[in-house]
Amino acid sequence: MAGLELLSDQGYRLDGRKATELRKVQARMGVFAQADGSAYIEQGNTKALAVVYGPHEVRGSRSRTLNDRAVINCQYSMATFSTSERKRRPHGDRKSTEMSLHLKQTFEAAVLTNLYPRSQIDIYVKILQSDGGNYSAGVNAATLAVIDAGIPLRDYVCACTAGFVDETPLTDLCHAEESGGGTSLAMALLPRGGHIALLQMDARLHQDHLETLMEAAMTACKSISKVLDQVVRQHLQEVSALTGE
Amino acid sequence: MSPMKLCVPGDRLCSKEDCMPGTGVYLRHGYIYSSLAGYILRKNEGEELPVISVVRDTEAQLLPDVGAIVTCKVTSINSRFAKVHILYVGSTPLKDRFRGTIRKEDVRATEKDRVETYKSFRPGDIVLAKVISLGDVQSNYLLTTAENELGVVVAHSEAGAQMVPISWCEMQCPRTHAKEFRKVARVQPEYLHT
Repeated sequence: MAGLELLSDQGYRLDGRKATELRKVQARMGVFAQADGSAYIEQGNTKALAVVYGPHEVRGSRSRTLNDRAVINCQYSMATFSTSERKRRPHGDRKSTEMSLHLKQTFEAAVLTNLYPRSQIDIYVKILQSDGGNYSAGVNAATLAVIDAGIPLRDYVCACTAGFVDETPLTDLCHAEESGGGTSLAMALLPRGGHIALLQMDARLHQDHLETLMEAAMTACKSISKVLDQVVRQHLQEVSALTGE
Repeated sequence: MSPMKLCVPGDRLCSKEDCMPGTGVYLRHGYIYSSLAGYILRKNEGEELPVISVVRDTEAQLLPDVGAIVTCKVTSINSRFAKVHILYVGSTPLKDRFRGTIRKEDVRATEKDRVETYKSFRPGDIVLAKVISLGDVQSNYLLTTAENELGVVVAHSEAGAQMVPISWCEMQCPRTHAKEFRKVARVQPEYLHT
């Protein structure tokens, strides 16, 4: 075993958390005035920004117009200063394209697109600081931004990562835990009904452990959904206090 | 007014038997769920079930729907149709312009084949029109002005002054007194400010 112990004998992880403890989540909605919806989230050291435009007419290639529902266009990118070494190519590389596609699939499951035929909704996610759980932070920020834009959603979409070390599931992995070579499962969940919008896993995992790992990830997603819920309610109250309702 | 309750997307509001779904909610397995983050509004319609909807302070983007009266600006004309940018849906301004087309046959209700688009619209005119179709993949929204209340409401003459309507097909410039042809809308008297 290498020098770094992902889980100590007393049950503490590298950053001092317990196995199923989440990092501190702080979020703000409505950070940009010019976009239809925007949100900023910090999960531990991972910082993500999401901006939503729409629904508006389909731009670019008109052949993408769908007659009965809206097209969701997602772009995921990382800032050049987000990782420990300056990122050479923030857009268009394979990882970003894959993440963009995952985001698109996730939000197509949650947004009620059939209310906006022949239009397009743009979701842009930018990772400002990357410390593990980039996709999850992106999804959580995008959920808040979509709610801020007033686009109807079936339910919140909450995402979290989970790993497996020493027969124990760990939730909300940081960068060192993700790149350690162990299993990393990312799950996007609609917490009310327990519907999974996206499930993705890297590395290998014995199938006997899959059940435990998914349970742990679902619990973590539901905890995150409680935090996001609080943020949304507080924002609503602030906005209505300002407009004097 | 009693304080309205907050709700977030995914909140179960009530069952289908208690209320009718309005805007900002969706129906699933016999229950009504909220789809927006906002305030719950219950309106009593009389003997029918109350309508439940979720409202926000800022209105979400409204899309032009079939049968809606829209205000648009003519961008280009052609012998077969006129292209417009849709600016308002009803009285709500759109944040982003949608494109629409008014075909030659849809300009007026009578003598459809003898219409000349050059004598009905000019680029820069503000037109009241009704949406007849959302169009297919290739085309834009299809609009019509084939009613008395639809057509040009504001137009500028070649001299640059805002013209005054004289009849359903003519407008006159107050500066040069020249008459120009347009398909004029007969605006309802209550909408005219004096």
